[in-house]
Amino acid sequence: MSSQRRKSDDPPPDLRAERDQFLQNFMKGGRLTEDFIAEYERVRVQLATLESENAQLRTKVEEDSAMRELLEKIEALETEKRDLLSRTKQAEAVSNEFSVRFEEVETEFSNLANLFVASNQLHASLSPRGVMRRVKEVLAQLVGAERYAIYLSEPERHVLVPVASEGVRGEELSPVPASDGAIGRAFAQGKAAVDDEIRSCEGSVGRPAAIVPLTVDDQVVGVIAVFATLSQKTKFDTIDFELFKLLGQHAAAALVSASLFAQAGRKMPGLEAFLDLSV
Amino acid sequence: MVEYSCLIVEDSPMMRQLLVFALARVKNLRVTEADDGVDGLRKLASARYDIIVTDINMPIMDGLKLVKRVRSDPMHKDTPIVIITTEGSQEDRQRALQLGANAYITKPIQAPQVIATVKELLKIE
Repeated sequence: MSSQRRKSDDPPPDLRAERDQFLQNFMKGGRLTEDFIAEYERVRVQLATLESENAQLRTKVEEDSAMRELLEKIEALETEKRDLLSRTKQAEAVSNEFSVRFEEVETEFSNLANLFVASNQLHASLSPRGVMRRVKEVLAQLVGAERYAIYLSEPERHVLVPVASEGVRGEELSPVPASDGAIGRAFAQGKAAVDDEIRSCEGSVGRPAAIVPLTVDDQVVGVIAVFATLSQKTKFDTIDFELFKLLGQHAAAALVSASLFAQAGRKMPGLEAFLDLSV
Repeated sequence: MVEYSCLIVEDSPMMRQLLVFALARVKNLRVTEADDGVDGLRKLASARYDIIVTDINMPIMDGLKLVKRVRSDPMHKDTPIVIITTEGSQEDRQRALQLGANAYITKPIQAPQVIATVKELLKIE
């Protein structure tokens, strides 16, 4: 019985094989499931790691981007700064140019004012003494002459006679030849002479710093000899040469006019003297 | 608009004209001229001035006496005074400054220097 039961309990071989197959498959399925679960776990961990890395990378990228933006902003600001500095320099250059020009115009105006005043003053008097006083004022106040003399020509004796002076002792002055020496040569040639080899304040009666011919209607009638200027004036400037030119052309004419007017008893010429002037 | 007044005391017509020309460049500055110290005092007695520019060497009353008189006048005791001197007259310059002059200009005068001195004393920009 028991052997029969055993027999009956004992599955037939095909079933056993099928059971074994099933068990094998089941076991295999179990192992596969375990493998799958393990793989799943591994992948999940990997995913988490990757996500973490990704987050870190994203943060880094964002940081890099912010840094890049900052760098770009700094570069833009640097460019702007360079531009502003360049514009400031340009503005400063223009401003300096204006300042220089302004000073030039101021000096030019001052020089023109001096010339106008000198010219105006030379013709403001009709007395020979008044004209001479003004000539001396122009020399002293505008040219800065400290020692000087005014010579007029005496054609008969062919000499130049000192008629007025300042800062020079009487015995130092005497008539000079009209064609010799520095004074005589300047008179004969009708050209102003400036001694460039000495400082204008260091000239002397024997070696004048400047000699200016005086003309009336293109005829040389005398000279102004500037022996020396004030100590603070060491050389003649452009304005001084302009003043010399003005004195050369106007001083003698003003003196002659004043002398003629004085000789005529300070009487104005009659109207008939002006009738034939139309050209 | 503030207007300033200036009295020029100078016996030389040429120097006066030069000073007037120079000071005409200062905006809102009215200039009055006096021939010498006495004429200057006469003008100072009849009007108030914001600044006085005076020569030192003048006939009748020189610049030093004028400075002294102006400083003793209550109406003008604080009025700025500019004196005009020659380079050599350092003693006169010192004396004028001691008497109360505020600044000096040396001859031959330069317009820019006159303008700058007057503007500085009047505190004009």
